Amino acid sequence: MLMPRKPPKGFRKPHHPDRHGAAKGGTRVVFGEFGIQALESAYLTNRQIEAARIAMTRHIKRGGKVWITVFPDQALTKKPAETRMGSGKGSPEWWVANIKPGRVLFEMSFPNEQIAREAMRRAIHKLPMKCRIVTREVGES
Amino acid sequence: MSEVKISAEPRTEFGKGGARRTRRAGKVPAVLYGHGEKPKHIALPAREFAAAIRHGGANQLFAIEISDGTQALALPKAIQRDPIKDTLEHIDLILVRRGEKVTVDVPVHLAGEAARNTLVVHEQNTLSVSADATRLPESFEVSIEGLEVGSQVTAADVRLPEGVELAADPEQILALVTQAPTAEQMAAEAGEEPTEEAEEEAGAEGPGAEAAEAEGDNQGAPAQAAAQG
Repeated sequence: MLMPRKPPKGFRKPHHPDRHGAAKGGTRVVFGEFGIQALESAYLTNRQIEAARIAMTRHIKRGGKVWITVFPDQALTKKPAETRMGSGKGSPEWWVANIKPGRVLFEMSFPNEQIAREAMRRAIHKLPMKCRIVTREVGES
Repeated sequence: MSEVKISAEPRTEFGKGGARRTRRAGKVPAVLYGHGEKPKHIALPAREFAAAIRHGGANQLFAIEISDGTQALALPKAIQRDPIKDTLEHIDLILVRRGEKVTVDVPVHLAGEAARNTLVVHEQNTLSVSADATRLPESFEVSIEGLEVGSQVTAADVRLPEGVELAADPEQILALVTQAPTAEQMAAEAGEEPTEEAEEEAGAEGPGAEAAEAEGDNQGAPAQAAAQG
């Protein structure tokens, strides 16, 4: 599962990342031919990324390639169950990627568009936000 | 590629407020520059421009008639779109002259199917060529019919029409034909998936512990950013 190899340089238990606004970059398909684009903001955990990747690769079986274009590098904390408030911040629980609308999450290259779309539809069901399938625009800069 | 006539108005108000008012009026803010001339700020009809780009591609030549009486021949240099709504936000147009040689990126399409059990990796989907501004090719087609594993399509393999010269490196790879992963490789990849036990363990310790562990042994493979399927 995706996670940083080294502990974070800044804070070990950071505040929740900002969920406002739209994606500033990574909004186009650049590696493959099709992509999954987020339409809402959400925290995407490494488990959700892995689940979506598996759903996609299992459907295409062979003859294609999948790129993951986001990385879960933000730690989110959680306090243990049935504990009283106070006594400091909870311990890190999840690694998430802070996704904003417009961000391309996965890209795929596959010869059959119909199968590729079905694979991505299955992957979208594993994701915590509304998404759509986008295709690569050729020639526009 | 034939040129498309489009009317434009000079823009008098600038900044995000002015630009938003222009967009609300069904126009798209644009700037016209090149040949050492002073940049001209104009507004183009959004629907007409989008239709021209949709049919003619990103290298569509425009004959712009500005309402102040000036005429210009221009090529789109950069097109900014809203990533979610996909509407046009702003356009950069570069002035060209008839007979002038310009360098543009032309889309390359792969035709046909490679040999069985192969995976075609489309490395570059545009090719940089220089041609007369009024005779720009819309796209190139390269056949990959029956190509075997290990073969590659380079820029030199593209048949260029008369008057079009290659601006890119002739050895630039456009597409590669590689071996498609076998069922065994797929099974091996499935073996990499985390087991339930490992997931529970990871969940109990949290991401901080996982990261520390990963740093401690430092033997784990780097995070897999691309997965072959």
